Amino acid sequence: MKIFFQRLKNHSKLAYFSFWFLIFFYIVSFLADLLAPYHFDHQFRNKPYHPPTKIHFVDENGHFHIRPFVYNMVVDDPVFRTYREDKSIRYPVKFFVDGPERKIFFIFKTTRYFFGVDEPAGIFLFGTDTYGRDIFSRLLYGGRISLSISIVGVLISFTLGMITGGIAGYFGGLLDQILMRFVEILMVFPSFYLMLSLRAMFPLNLSSIQVYFLIVLILSLIGWAGLARIIRGMVLSLKEEDYVLAAKSLGLSHWRILFFHIFPNTFSYTITALTISVPGYIIGEAALSLLGLGIQEPYPSWGNILSSTIGNLKVVGDAPWLLLAGAFIFAVLINFNLLGDALRNVLDPKNW
Amino acid sequence: MEKILEIRNLAVVRKQKVNSVPVLNDINFVIEKDELFCLVGESGCGKTTLALSIMKLLPKSFAVKSGEIYVNGKNVLAMDEKSIRNIRGKEMSIIFQDPGAYLDPLFTIGLHMKEALHEGIKTQREMMIYALNEVGLEPYVLHNYPHQLSGGQQQRVMIAMALINKPPLIIADEPTTALDILTTYQIINLLNTIREKYHPGMLFITHDLKLATRIGTRTGIMYNGYIVEIFIPGKTKPVHPYSSILMGAVHKHFTISKTMLSRQSDICPFFEKCPEKEIECQKQIPFVWNKDMTGIRCIKHGRNS
Amino acid sequence: MKKLILKRLLQLIPMLIGMSFVSFIIIQSSPGDYFAQMKMNPEISPETIEMMRTSFGLDRPLFVQYFFWLKNICKMDFGISFAYHIPVTTLIKFRLKNTLCLAIFSLFLSWVIAIPLAVLAGYKEGTLIDKIFSLFAYLSISLPSFFVALLFVYFISKTGVLPLGGTRSIFDIDANAFLIFKDYMRHLLVPGLVLCFVNIGWLFRLMKNNFIEVYNTPYILAAWARGLPASSVIFKHTLRNALNPMFTILGMEIGSILNGAALTEIICGWPGMGSLILEAVLSHDLYLVMGSLVISGFLLIIGNLIGDILIALFDPRIRLT
Repeated sequence: MKIFFQRLKNHSKLAYFSFWFLIFFYIVSFLADLLAPYHFDHQFRNKPYHPPTKIHFVDENGHFHIRPFVYNMVVDDPVFRTYREDKSIRYPVKFFVDGPERKIFFIFKTTRYFFGVDEPAGIFLFGTDTYGRDIFSRLLYGGRISLSISIVGVLISFTLGMITGGIAGYFGGLLDQILMRFVEILMVFPSFYLMLSLRAMFPLNLSSIQVYFLIVLILSLIGWAGLARIIRGMVLSLKEEDYVLAAKSLGLSHWRILFFHIFPNTFSYTITALTISVPGYIIGEAALSLLGLGIQEPYPSWGNILSSTIGNLKVVGDAPWLLLAGAFIFAVLINFNLLGDALRNVLDPKNW
Repeated sequence: MEKILEIRNLAVVRKQKVNSVPVLNDINFVIEKDELFCLVGESGCGKTTLALSIMKLLPKSFAVKSGEIYVNGKNVLAMDEKSIRNIRGKEMSIIFQDPGAYLDPLFTIGLHMKEALHEGIKTQREMMIYALNEVGLEPYVLHNYPHQLSGGQQQRVMIAMALINKPPLIIADEPTTALDILTTYQIINLLNTIREKYHPGMLFITHDLKLATRIGTRTGIMYNGYIVEIFIPGKTKPVHPYSSILMGAVHKHFTISKTMLSRQSDICPFFEKCPEKEIECQKQIPFVWNKDMTGIRCIKHGRNS
Repeated sequence: MKKLILKRLLQLIPMLIGMSFVSFIIIQSSPGDYFAQMKMNPEISPETIEMMRTSFGLDRPLFVQYFFWLKNICKMDFGISFAYHIPVTTLIKFRLKNTLCLAIFSLFLSWVIAIPLAVLAGYKEGTLIDKIFSLFAYLSISLPSFFVALLFVYFISKTGVLPLGGTRSIFDIDANAFLIFKDYMRHLLVPGLVLCFVNIGWLFRLMKNNFIEVYNTPYILAAWARGLPASSVIFKHTLRNALNPMFTILGMEIGSILNGAALTEIICGWPGMGSLILEAVLSHDLYLVMGSLVISGFLLIIGNLIGDILIALFDPRIRLT
């Protein structure tokens, strides 16, 4: 493991940084409950499309304060929805404030928040949406959904793909033919159309848990076919290797050989492919949520947050901070791509 | 006799991240018209690098450290790209080792040969068919693609392309190594026929010393980037310790040196593995020339016989 | 050569059958009867429902239903759309034309831009130009298509340079064909450029890698050894060999373009197959979903076939064995 990290760092400092960046993102999302200043559904009805709050250190009179503060923003022009700062009162940023009760990690109830400001001001680091919900908090919570769905989906696809590909490649014959025909037929459909059709098989209104698992299921079903084909090819060539013959002559069962001897040799490819596939799953989930077929309101997902921008040109023009969700997706994506590229070079046995 | 190829003090290095590794050192020889100079050595000793240097086709990581190469009197290394492209194929041509890899799979043989000719349109077809006849191929080959021909046929095509402009210098880099023994003989006979007809100067590179002694007018032995001996087969016998090993001699005391010496330029290049090495061999050994253009790089056997 | 095409066409048929069967299964697994929706619609009489039932053989066992459905498909009858009350075929025809225009436009544009730049970057590997292009390509690969579409739509809406949404602006009735065409093209530009941008990245990378790989082969060295001028070596030999595997890519790109086009269409408001299937799913218009799915799969199969034919056409090693 240590050797792997060393090699990765040597190969590309950028990819090494990407790895830790992603770990950071995942940890932050996991701790969204603890870090977000507001609950994802906490609405400020009087502050729709509020721009990002400016954090000040120097007040009107030129005094410098160590503790940063914000001003309350009031609606300047209700028609054009512009805001201006009300510089009369300073609201210092406090840590571990009290607020409405909410659940952490689905179990514990608490009223403490990591940071915040007193009413009626709000600290909206990335502005608010149409219902006045803090985008920053929603992004944190949304990260949980988007990042976890992709990982779970990828793992399921890969398990499915490896098992199918492994069985087809190893046992061959009629089983191989049937499985591969099926895989090919699945690969005939463009993934977007297949995704939508699979979604259409189920009612549009489902509970949030059901939707979560449904999306994971759909994404997995679309992704496993390509991998199954490649794994099958690899198994086909690997099963002719000498150590497989040696294992057989020792009397090991087929399953043992498959799992303990052949599969480990596919890992260098699999791990790279895994890393490179995750972006596709993130996009898939975001696309579904974007179109209203994925995670439903009020639960946030990065695609969800972007959905209010579709078809509403005025909204995008007035509140461009909504597009930050896209920026987050892009940031995660590019890091996965960088990491995947570096992994491909590092894990390639030819380079050892 | 006219000098077709003259190489003076050629040194070539391969550039690496930190330092350069010497690939060719102190290369000096001359090939005259109607000579077949065979260059013999193991893989990795620099033979192909030498061939590519003459054609000025070294890969980017290689560089000529010093020396001059004269082809037909022209200083090749000093020429610019345009001028040298005029010479390539016309005044010097090369036959490569694995002919299948050196033919563009998407182009017919006819197109290849058309390119080899630097001429205009009028006599193209006749010249191509004539060249094919010389190598023993039928004209219909012109319409074939490389993958449709056998290895021997492909090599004949390469030879046809090499001589279509009747160049005074032909370099053959292990042309028969990738072929079976019967085809090897056919190709060798073909090369001999061409020599009788056109009298080019030929540089024939191979790792097979026995073959070289049979066909060459002069033979040079290369080891580790140095030429260690040049002899005339039939007239003189190779005496350098390396040459005798190549000829199949077995030495009684084959000692393995305990220290791994890097490629230092101030000892004999064969020092590490030489069964006859002595303490005084640990200095720079120059190549000693004899009157008949043979020579040897060895202290022990350097005193002419 | 003709044998090859025939063989591929024959392989097509079981694929088409399999694909249609899977589509059928997908739709059949949908909750509720086909006609649950229709029954709730007071405008449709129970007699019409019965008629449709028998015509689709819904009272017959599953396999028979499948054959009826298949027979209808071959007659190009995909049923009636619930939402629009017109035959699905009509809808698909109209939308398909738009999607194909979009696809061909962006395909053409992305190839025209990516291939020459890739050749340049490949030839000048390691230089500043190569690094700039590669960075751009990396951005293109990493930016998700919907995000690019959203950003582009945002900028266009601020500047108002190009029209957004639909294929036609409100016009004089007696505008001539050329003006109509020009208007169509102006509407096509926004989704077209977005799709082109998203496509360029991986195309550039692929072509550049191909170019470099070919450039380092022995036969290119032999071409230099023959004394050929640089233009000949690069354009006649290297480019030709590097482009060869791209032909299969061209065929397979049809599939990926359809995918990318769908989301882009939806965001830019371009009325194509992508928007169609989304509307169909949202309104639970099952026949429409099925029809779109089958047509999209069919297009992908055709695309792969074209790719195979192209490569057989241009590679003598495949053509003449």
